[in-house]
Amino acid sequence: MADLLSILSQSASSLTAQSGLAATASNNIQNANTDGYSRQTAVLADVLPAERVGGAYIGRGSTLQTVSQSRNRFLEAQLPAAFSAASKSSAESATLSGVTALDPDGGAGLSSALGDFYSSLTALSQNPGDSSLRQAAVSTAKALTLAFNGAASSLNAARSGVDADVSGNIATVNALAQSVASLNAQIAIARASGGQPNDLLDARQKAQDQLATLVGAVPIPDAKGNINLSFPNGQSLVSGNTASTVAAVSDPSNGGHVALTLASGGAPPKPLLSTNVGGGLGGELAARDGALKTAGESLDTLAFDFANTVNAVHQAGYGLDGSTGQALFDTTATSSGAAAKLAVDPAVLGNPGKLAAASSAGTLPGDGANLLSVIQTENTALSTGSNVSATLSNLTAAFGSAAANSATVSAHDAAISANLTGLRESTSGVSIDEEMVTLTRAQRGYEAVAKVLQTTNDMLDTLMSIKST
Amino acid sequence: MRVTDRLIFQGATTNLGRAREKEELASQEAQTGIRVNHPGDDPGAAGLIVTHRVEQKRFAAIQQSVGRASDELGSTDGALDTVTNSLARARELAVQLSNGTYSANERAGAAVEISGLVQSVLGALNTKVGSHYVFGGNKDQAPPFDPAGNYAGDDGIHQVEIAPGVYQAASVNANVGIKGSAGGVDVIATLQALQAALQSNNVAGVQASLNPLEQSTSQVSNMRAQVGSSMNVLDAATAINKASSDSATSKISTLADADAIASASNLALAERSLEAAYTAASKSFQLTLVDKLR
Repeated sequence: MADLLSILSQSASSLTAQSGLAATASNNIQNANTDGYSRQTAVLADVLPAERVGGAYIGRGSTLQTVSQSRNRFLEAQLPAAFSAASKSSAESATLSGVTALDPDGGAGLSSALGDFYSSLTALSQNPGDSSLRQAAVSTAKALTLAFNGAASSLNAARSGVDADVSGNIATVNALAQSVASLNAQIAIARASGGQPNDLLDARQKAQDQLATLVGAVPIPDAKGNINLSFPNGQSLVSGNTASTVAAVSDPSNGGHVALTLASGGAPPKPLLSTNVGGGLGGELAARDGALKTAGESLDTLAFDFANTVNAVHQAGYGLDGSTGQALFDTTATSSGAAAKLAVDPAVLGNPGKLAAASSAGTLPGDGANLLSVIQTENTALSTGSNVSATLSNLTAAFGSAAANSATVSAHDAAISANLTGLRESTSGVSIDEEMVTLTRAQRGYEAVAKVLQTTNDMLDTLMSIKST
Repeated sequence: MRVTDRLIFQGATTNLGRAREKEELASQEAQTGIRVNHPGDDPGAAGLIVTHRVEQKRFAAIQQSVGRASDELGSTDGALDTVTNSLARARELAVQLSNGTYSANERAGAAVEISGLVQSVLGALNTKVGSHYVFGGNKDQAPPFDPAGNYAGDDGIHQVEIAPGVYQAASVNANVGIKGSAGGVDVIATLQALQAALQSNNVAGVQASLNPLEQSTSQVSNMRAQVGSSMNVLDAATAINKASSDSATSKISTLADADAIASASNLALAERSLEAAYTAASKSFQLTLVDKLR
């Protein structure tokens, strides 16, 4: 039969349940701003079995059955790819938009220097014997080579900047991968003891998200409850409780820029191609080995073709001292690195009289016929099939298109990522309003159970006083 | 949709960030007046700007070069005018003093005047523009005529670029026009011969100089005609190159520069949007049950 003492005992259990409800709401409120936290819900249940009193069943109060997490697996499955894509395109766009080497500026760009060079030759062609005009022509030639050097240096600096950023982030990637592997082990142990380790699950999810953002790690859950991670091409980063190690090495085949390797379980490191890395680092590598590399190579080809085209004509002419066969530009043997190393030939730089303006030694010093031929090189088709200014124009437009495309893709990916993040937040995030209501509900419940306790105690007092009289 | 506090704050962060970015871009465009700062802003325009900038500089340089050539031709014409006038005066004296009624003293006096004319002609033919002797051909860094009237220049004719790849003669050949190397007469030698005839009271010699003087005048006239013709071409080229340079500048401006009215309008719109975003965010932050439960 239902006795007053069992009511007291049940009330204690119910008070604990109400406290659990309040504690869960409190924990939710305290973690309202914690990244990766999923709100928790205290599930109260009535205590079974009900007590049979005569022909009736009387309940035995409430208990805290479990604390569950609010998570939407459908959304969470889409998030790593969305984070990876958004981070990748954003990093690529930021890298490309930060390069100013090919800006169509008004003053000091390549196009201005190119126009100035040919313009100074036009002025000199009118009075080739004039030493000040010769000096001016050599100066503009030097300014043009410096513009090429500067643009190449800027593009290369951007690529080196990516190397530094990638190298600097590798330790973070390895630490996060190690963290996921470790959390896999801890979660397995916790589950084996019968609990649902919500906080460990949150921590693992957070590390997963960070790795998706950094390198585009793809989560692959297994039957044991582990989350394995791989790079977009399938190379494993985390398998169960074992994490592979990413390392940066110099790649001679790519101008000494950083290449990645992946080592696992003591095996020799294997190459991790930059095209197989996603996330922010993948975006930076894509910019480095994509648009920036193409722009650098195109600039080298342009500098090489331009210098050789001008030199070929210039060498046919005669300088004021009667010398011939003199190159105007000092360039490399192949196009590789030509823009960075392009210079005015030291002999011409030291003696502008060696500018080969005349078409023959007998027509010195006033003959500018060879200069007019040099000027004509501005219309000569280079190896690209276009003349020098059109090639520069195409190079600029191609780089601009890559930057604009990455910006467009970045905005699109960011919108998708923000939408999915919002939807996840809508499911798993903490609403202070809701938690305040729950807290108030728990408070009211606690107060009511306490009242039950007090009433039962009064009833017991009444009973005790009857016996003592 | 369930709205959580983080959702509100994240939304505010994202939306305020976007509104702020738009306002910043609109402000930057309005301040600088430049629409294309980076190739990615408008790849097609950025490529065209490069081509037009080279074009603009080339046309401006050609225009400047044509202007200088035109000035040189002006100086050349001025020098040839002096030669023409000297020849006219010499012919006048030759005609006058070929008459037997004049005395030896009078002819000697005229010889002195002719000597002065020769010096004047030599001075004119050694005209220099900048560092460049306009009658020297390719040997233009030293005076082409020595005091005796010997020519140290050559047959070179300067060409000036009047459009990309198009050239026009911008000097005359003094070896032909003055020294008569292509079957003509030597203008200076003719004057010198007249001077000698006058000095020696050689009436026949004075009479014999009339034909060469005629030919000299004709040669110099031909040179002036060439100069005039070239100047006409250069004048036209100056106008064309100025128009081409202006056109390239205008194209660059159209491609790269911002429309001032559109920029101001975009800035006002962006500012309004940012203000609205601030207001909406602050309102949404105020709505919380925490305040009501006190």
